[in-house]
Amino acid sequence: MLDMAAEPAGRFIEASQIAKIYETGGGVVEALSSISFDCAQGDFLSLLGPSGCGKSTLLMIMAGLEPATDGRASVAGEVVMSPRADVGVVFQDPTLLPWRTTLENVLFPIEMMRLRRSLYRDRAVALLEEVGLGKFLTKRPHELSGGMRQRVAICRALVHEPKILLMDEPFSALDAITRDQMNALLLDLLIRHAKTVLFVTHSIREAVMLSDRILVMGGRPGRIVATEPVPFARPRAPELEDTAEFVALVARLRNAIEHSYGGHRAGGGA
Amino acid sequence: MTTASLQTPKVAAMQKRPSARHQMLVRQARIVLMPLACAFLMLVFWEAYVRISHVPAVILPGPLVVLATMAEIYPTLLLQAVPTTIESTIGFLISCSLGIVLAVLLCYSRIWREAVYPNLVLIQIIPKIALAPLFILWFGLGAESRLAFSVFISVFPIIVSTYEGLTNVDPNLLRLCRACQAQEWQVFLSVRVPSALPFIFSGMKVSITLAIIGVVIGEFITAQAGLGYLIVASSARSDTPVALAAVVVLCGAGLLLYGIVTGLQSIVNERYSRGGSR
Repeated sequence: MLDMAAEPAGRFIEASQIAKIYETGGGVVEALSSISFDCAQGDFLSLLGPSGCGKSTLLMIMAGLEPATDGRASVAGEVVMSPRADVGVVFQDPTLLPWRTTLENVLFPIEMMRLRRSLYRDRAVALLEEVGLGKFLTKRPHELSGGMRQRVAICRALVHEPKILLMDEPFSALDAITRDQMNALLLDLLIRHAKTVLFVTHSIREAVMLSDRILVMGGRPGRIVATEPVPFARPRAPELEDTAEFVALVARLRNAIEHSYGGHRAGGGA
Repeated sequence: MTTASLQTPKVAAMQKRPSARHQMLVRQARIVLMPLACAFLMLVFWEAYVRISHVPAVILPGPLVVLATMAEIYPTLLLQAVPTTIESTIGFLISCSLGIVLAVLLCYSRIWREAVYPNLVLIQIIPKIALAPLFILWFGLGAESRLAFSVFISVFPIIVSTYEGLTNVDPNLLRLCRACQAQEWQVFLSVRVPSALPFIFSGMKVSITLAIIGVVIGEFITAQAGLGYLIVASSARSDTPVALAAVVVLCGAGLLLYGIVTGLQSIVNERYSRGGSR
């Protein structure tokens, strides 16, 4: 299923010397400065950092939704110039079409990519059943809770069978309990659908829970200040959070974030 | 209810009071009955004034006289209501088609947006009714001039509201479309048009009343047929009860057309309004 023929496994997603500079009315803002990283196929890589460190901008550049000022983003060995069919994106806001039902929303990318809806309908239904929305196929977004809407958005990102999932703080608008549920759901989903994931978050615990590797970003200009591998085996259960290793890693990451501020400010909430 | 055993005394007490449903019925009845009562009261005052002050019916007939006149000449009234209603409807439909096409052009053509749109907004401000006699000069005494004038004054709300609707799309949705590699015609059909529908319908509500005004003014001037013609002709004969009867029927026709558009709007809003999305 996975074709690894062309690519060295270690560089399925690659960022090399990416910079982003905005010109605003007040002058030039350096949002990202020489960002380089790579991600192996099948890995879950998190970009962790406080608000305004440019992590979402970086993700949009990797998605081909925003141009980099300098440097190169590449996916599966090809330079990213525009959005790709082998990538699924989940945004912070579920961005569902309010007039469409759950199922029609999930099939939206299929229509836009001019693929045959009938070929993907069963898959869309199966995905929705997998995330517990089997009874909500004909509901419209305003009839769903925030967590349900984001689950619809995840199904929508997976429906065209992309190899890569780019997620931009997908759970940051949800309450803490729902968020934990969504983390468990995502872990579970990824066991059955192997994807390479790039995940943006400002929650240290979320990053540790989900990732294989974490890139800690600092702000002004946005840059990578630390890289931490996450050694925990999968599948991961919520009880993992109570282990000493988990707590120690969270502490180390919080230190790295605080350090990036020169120790003047407390890190983002865990 | 199965929860009955869990109810606290307070909840039980609340349920014994006049129910919330009852209160809602009263509230809804007030919404309908209060304006009707007010209107009825005004008619009573009108009738009383006419009787007490002995105003001649030529100047101001009472509502009962108008009602009697309506009963007497209703075949004529209905006959004249037909061309007015049909021409208003046609004018409105032309305005809708033309307005939507122009709005799409504005949405997709930068030159139109930059050069034409400010002028359209400017034309909105001028008193367009002042141009009515010129339309008769340009288009003759037939239905063409009434339709042209009707379209002229009723097309602008459609253009402006459709353009607003097509361009004020949630930017997140547009980004999603880009991520899905959608082509612009797909974005137009699947995102812009549905997002614009509530806007288009609020423009239509303004437009339908203007379309009727346009036709009636056209009838005033061309004086061939229609309720506008009947009003002018009977006023000229000092037949005030007939003129007022025609006005009443005109109100009825206007309400009917407005009601149809409002009904369609509520159906569309139920599904396409952005308010329901989050």
